[in-house]
Amino acid sequence: MSARFRISSLLLGALWLSAASAQAEPFAPHQPYLQASLGVRVSKVSDAGYDAFSDSDELTQVSLGLGGTLFRLQRFSLAAVGFWDYGQKSSTARGAATQLDVHRLTVGPELRYHLIPPLYLFVNVLPAFAHSSASLDDNVAQATRHARHWSYGVDAAAGAAVELYAARSEGWFRPRLWAIAEGGYGYLGSSALQLSPDEGQGPQRPAPVDLGTLSLAGPYLRVSAAVGF
Amino acid sequence: MKKLAWLMCGTLALACGGRPSSWDTPYTPSSQNGLTSAYGLTGSVAVLDAALERVTMLSSPSPFTLSSRSLGLGKNLVAARASADRQTLFVLSRGVQPQRTPKDERPQLLLIDGGSSPAISQSYTLTEPMEQLVLDPQNEWAVVYGGGGVVVNLNELVLVNLAQSGADALSSKTLLSFGGSPQRFTFTAAMAVPGGEPRRFLIVERDADLVLIDLAQPDRDAVTVPLPKTDAGGTASPAQVVYDADSASVAVRVNGSTSVLVLQLAAPAEDGEDYSVVTNLVDVGGQPAAIDFVHNSQGLRLVALVGNSAVLVDPVTATTQSVQMPAAFTGIRRITAELNTAADGDVALLYGANVTKIAYFNLSGAPGALYRSIESSEIGVSVKNVIDVPGERFFDHKLLETPNQQFYVLDLHTRESAPMKTNGALSLEVAPDGERVWAYNSGQLGFASVDFATLHPVSLIAERPVSQVFDIEGANGQRSAIALHLTGEISAGIGATVLDALAPSTAYARFYSGLELGGVK
Repeated sequence: MSARFRISSLLLGALWLSAASAQAEPFAPHQPYLQASLGVRVSKVSDAGYDAFSDSDELTQVSLGLGGTLFRLQRFSLAAVGFWDYGQKSSTARGAATQLDVHRLTVGPELRYHLIPPLYLFVNVLPAFAHSSASLDDNVAQATRHARHWSYGVDAAAGAAVELYAARSEGWFRPRLWAIAEGGYGYLGSSALQLSPDEGQGPQRPAPVDLGTLSLAGPYLRVSAAVGF
Repeated sequence: MKKLAWLMCGTLALACGGRPSSWDTPYTPSSQNGLTSAYGLTGSVAVLDAALERVTMLSSPSPFTLSSRSLGLGKNLVAARASADRQTLFVLSRGVQPQRTPKDERPQLLLIDGGSSPAISQSYTLTEPMEQLVLDPQNEWAVVYGGGGVVVNLNELVLVNLAQSGADALSSKTLLSFGGSPQRFTFTAAMAVPGGEPRRFLIVERDADLVLIDLAQPDRDAVTVPLPKTDAGGTASPAQVVYDADSASVAVRVNGSTSVLVLQLAAPAEDGEDYSVVTNLVDVGGQPAAIDFVHNSQGLRLVALVGNSAVLVDPVTATTQSVQMPAAFTGIRRITAELNTAADGDVALLYGANVTKIAYFNLSGAPGALYRSIESSEIGVSVKNVIDVPGERFFDHKLLETPNQQFYVLDLHTRESAPMKTNGALSLEVAPDGERVWAYNSGQLGFASVDFATLHPVSLIAERPVSQVFDIEGANGQRSAIALHLTGEISAGIGATVLDALAPSTAYARFYSGLELGGVK
């Protein structure tokens, strides 16, 4: 029997014991009515269109989340969650300054399962709407070119949340602090990178600069701190 | 935040990747020896992007539109030239040096079709890196030479037969040397050498001699002809080589000498020879500023411009005849073909960088009437260069380039010259269809076209500084003018204003930029 197997068996046993000992404690107080989170989302964007705006494949976004439990059944609960992620990347493309602003809005259901009251696992599948604004400081045209697009997709993730702290107050309003980590894949459709100056800017009748297409799809991780009650 | 992001990246176990280094390599217009920023071809403009070892080919698929396509070139570009007919761009690269693995790219000569659908049409792999490239005006040969290795044979030439492909096209030739190295090359037309088929020669001017290479048999030994000493007894160097194909004659103007060396290619004198060379040294009475072969009613003559005289030399007898000129001309250009006359002698245009006149030297008629054969015109400015006009419609026009801000459009038939004044330094670009000329001042906003039919200049003001102007044929047969913008506020880039070349107007022009970003991988 390998050491790895022994450790895994011990961990599973401890988890089972914890779950069993938690039978006495109700799950409902730990299934937050409302939960607000603040975190960081890091995506890996390997699309070639992203290269003009970043010298690495990483896209870091600040992430604000809001969720509310809709349905509870013992260890299970179903919540509606939504996230707004915002990130900005800037770089240079052969000497010309570039920038990419990305807003991503995701809303959808999240299924949670409490292993023990202060620890739940979850999966979610969230339709995504993203707005990207790419810009290029065109030194020859002496104008800033832009390409602004909406794109659509879906995020699918799984993660875990651990309750770190619960206020001592009595009653239904008892704030709890959660640490949440999730990982998944965010799919977004491609959008054309045809960058043009804004109306009235730059030379007359400028043809767009064609940088191909941009897809912000890729795996991601999100870590958040959440407050719920 | 950044640390957290990187930590999360690590936990993604996907190793956040980087981007190709090309994105961090700024575009810089090429300006080193042997390379210029852009080359005008028949149906496209080739903009060298040496930093990424590629060329961005700009073509015009329809009016006011520009498409770009980047073609990878060899590593370590050293020379590029457009063919005389502008159909092909030749690019010479040294490859990976030093070679470390068998896969390292070899030196190569790349040929790019310059039509409206540009593509690489041929490549020749060289065994050693070379740095100089010379093209045959008839597009049959190219010569590469001047290696950059630890030991360089300065007299080694690689002749590339452009009618062949692969290694069979290459022939390496080492010229016998007495200390000199190649300075200039002249590809002749087919010379009517007695006792054999007409054949073309490559004449190599070296420091103190000439080398004749028979292009019909390039592997045969070349013929080296030493130059005479200067009048002061020093080592002479060639200043100009001219030839007459019909008589298989070559003449060499020599720096520091009042004599002209005349070579007659004759029938073989010994067994094993393909031809022989008969040399003759003719004193023209002063150091000539220019020479050329002409025909008069008595046959072939060599004209040498010496001071205020034109000296006619009979290359057979070496007898000379001097004709007084109205000025000390330093340039001569035969214009007989352009005039398309049935006279029994040539007509030559005489000009000079230090005189304000041009003259027509008519060599037809009786030899004694030569003094009447000069017709001069005062144009008020000197002429540094005469530019031919291609095509069939205005082939009888010449552009007279002056050292200052003017140029002249000269109609050889009517002998009318139309002065064109510009407001800055001048660069001229004759449209390959021979219908118009574009004038521009690199780095300025203004440029203009002059239609040869009307001589009406159309002045245009671009919205960004113009680097170069080219006139290309589009995919639909339309002609487009491409005014390149290769400079920027902070960093350089590739931009262009596209106009209708036949009716140029900035009111309809379209602006393109960011072309250096296309196809970056």
